Amino acid sequence: MLQPIITQFLSGFSVVAILVIASLGLAIIFGVAGVINMAHGEFIMVGAYVAAVVGQLGGNTFIAIPVAFVVVGLIGLAIERGIIQWIYDRPLETLLATWGVGIGLQVIVKLIFGPELYYVGAPKMLDGAFRMIGLLPFPYYRLFLIILAIVMMALTFYVIFKTDFGLKVRAVRRNRGIAGCLGVDTAKVDMMIFTFGSGLAGVAGAALAPIKSVSPPMGFPYAVDSYMVLVLGGVGNLWGVVAGSTVIGEAETVLSFLYNNVIGKLLVFLFIVIIIRVVPKGLFGYYERR
Amino acid sequence: MEARKKMAAAGGGAGIHRAPMIPLWALVIGLGIVLAIGTYPYYGQAYVMSLLGKFLCYAIFALSIDLIWGFAGILSLGQAVYFGIGAYFVALSLKINYALDHPTRYGGKIPDFMEWNGLTELPGFMEPLVSLPFAIAMALIVPTLFAFLFGVITFKRHIYGVYCAVITLAESLILQDGIIEYQAYTGGFNGITDYSNYGNASFLWFILAITVLCFIAGRLLTHSRVGTVLKSIRDNDVRAEFMGYNVANYRIFVFCVSAFMAAAAGAMYAAWVGLVSFLDAGPVFSIEAVIWTAVGGRGTVIGPFVGAFLVKGAEFFLSGVLQWTWQLIMGGLFIFVVLVMRDGVVGTIANWVRRRQKGSMAQIVEEADQKAHDRQADWRPESAPGTTREI
Repeated sequence: MLQPIITQFLSGFSVVAILVIASLGLAIIFGVAGVINMAHGEFIMVGAYVAAVVGQLGGNTFIAIPVAFVVVGLIGLAIERGIIQWIYDRPLETLLATWGVGIGLQVIVKLIFGPELYYVGAPKMLDGAFRMIGLLPFPYYRLFLIILAIVMMALTFYVIFKTDFGLKVRAVRRNRGIAGCLGVDTAKVDMMIFTFGSGLAGVAGAALAPIKSVSPPMGFPYAVDSYMVLVLGGVGNLWGVVAGSTVIGEAETVLSFLYNNVIGKLLVFLFIVIIIRVVPKGLFGYYERR
Repeated sequence: MEARKKMAAAGGGAGIHRAPMIPLWALVIGLGIVLAIGTYPYYGQAYVMSLLGKFLCYAIFALSIDLIWGFAGILSLGQAVYFGIGAYFVALSLKINYALDHPTRYGGKIPDFMEWNGLTELPGFMEPLVSLPFAIAMALIVPTLFAFLFGVITFKRHIYGVYCAVITLAESLILQDGIIEYQAYTGGFNGITDYSNYGNASFLWFILAITVLCFIAGRLLTHSRVGTVLKSIRDNDVRAEFMGYNVANYRIFVFCVSAFMAAAAGAMYAAWVGLVSFLDAGPVFSIEAVIWTAVGGRGTVIGPFVGAFLVKGAEFFLSGVLQWTWQLIMGGLFIFVVLVMRDGVVGTIANWVRRRQKGSMAQIVEEADQKAHDRQADWRPESAPGTTREI
């Protein structure tokens, strides 16, 4: 009994990686710009379609990831300039507006690509799996996802903590008014951060395309999962993303194995509710201030 | 001093000017609409009649969202959970009763979807649902208790706003997944259908009566002292807390009322339409209802009714013509309402009328400001330091 659970625990790390990849962009947008981006799932979906197109043109995931970052980032930029910039001061309404954006993106994608599913293959060199003694085969692509999650985290940490732009971002995060008084162009920081976050969502889509069939409604569950990660981990702290993803990913994998998918989800949900009942700001939410 | 006397005279001691519960012209129009819907079965088409009953249920559902969102500032994206639970209880009960009289192909006296999934007899925990009154009671009580539990867990710890929205969203997603997963008990992907529903004129009157009751209840609630406290919580919960109100309890109360209404709407919906599926408990339906409320005008009791009828009506009559464009229009509508028409249809009209009556919006705001300032100045004791300091 114990051995399979340990196996599940190890394979759970790839779920954790998927959650980290999917929720990182949202954590940035939600944590810094304060926008509740319900179109996040659709950004991921567009990223996956970019990967599908790149695949059709003969590229692979390694090429698709930067392309998706740019394409979805630009879409995010357009949406920020067109819609979000007017409603930064009304967070709950950004939720409604971005939900509308999400519906729009779904319809447009369905119109261009049709309602059928697309399949994106993993790169040749990542085909196959390695086998540890007594354990389930572990696909190379999952290993790649774990590495990608680590790289993305490292990249985001670098941008936020080591660059000039990151300094401004943190200043705006801590105290928007004072940062503005000291000459930080807060509107521009919001714009850049929304673009960056959208780009990360695009990367997530491109990376997740090979493990999931690509279709217009594929994004929504990822968006909900990402929000749960943020609620559990705490908004405004990157370690919260790691903590939230780890707890949710591992718990869901093991519980789904022990019972079934829905019970696993339900138990994880109850667990999250209990945790935020104890620590309302999330596991790493000390950053959050009013 | 002078101002205080004037205020006391005008407000009958209360000092607050209240709008009448329902103005006369609104009463006349409302009665007209109720009569028009009530007599519809005599002159209209059956198809439109079935839509009317459906829309009334949607309208009550939208009102339940407006009560918590428009009046108390709690945005729930999982209100369909309560609608869905109510609907499923009633639908299950009707289906079980239907199966008793209409044996399935293999002679089983259980709902067909249970037979398809390998059940040979009604599961024990569903036995009580044979009694329809019990099912209706459960359909109303279970969601309310559920909402109470949810409120105690979250509102007592000051979890609201975005967090509440996300948690309720996840809640409804899980319920939807659960319904699909446990298809032996819920009909799964196909939902529960093919039972004898109440699609006649008298049930339409019943729905209409409940709708009017819900409207009056909503109006009473929002115009009472509790309603005023709720609005103050919506506008500034920290201050309301400092004023000595137990913010969490007020929130829990209104959340339970709202869940009760949503459950009632769901129960009637199941009995009227004769088809309940996982979509009626899912996040998409919840969020759609939030759009109706926003389009109609949140913070007004009539807004949700207008919004539900407008959006749903447009959908039924236009989606056939426009097909895929319809969804795009829905998305655009969302953005439009948030960016431009923040007060919804009703709110925009009300603002327009007010402007016509009193001149420009700026003037109205200025007047209200002045009034508030007068009142505050009046409340301040004359000798208090800081009120009249010479510079």
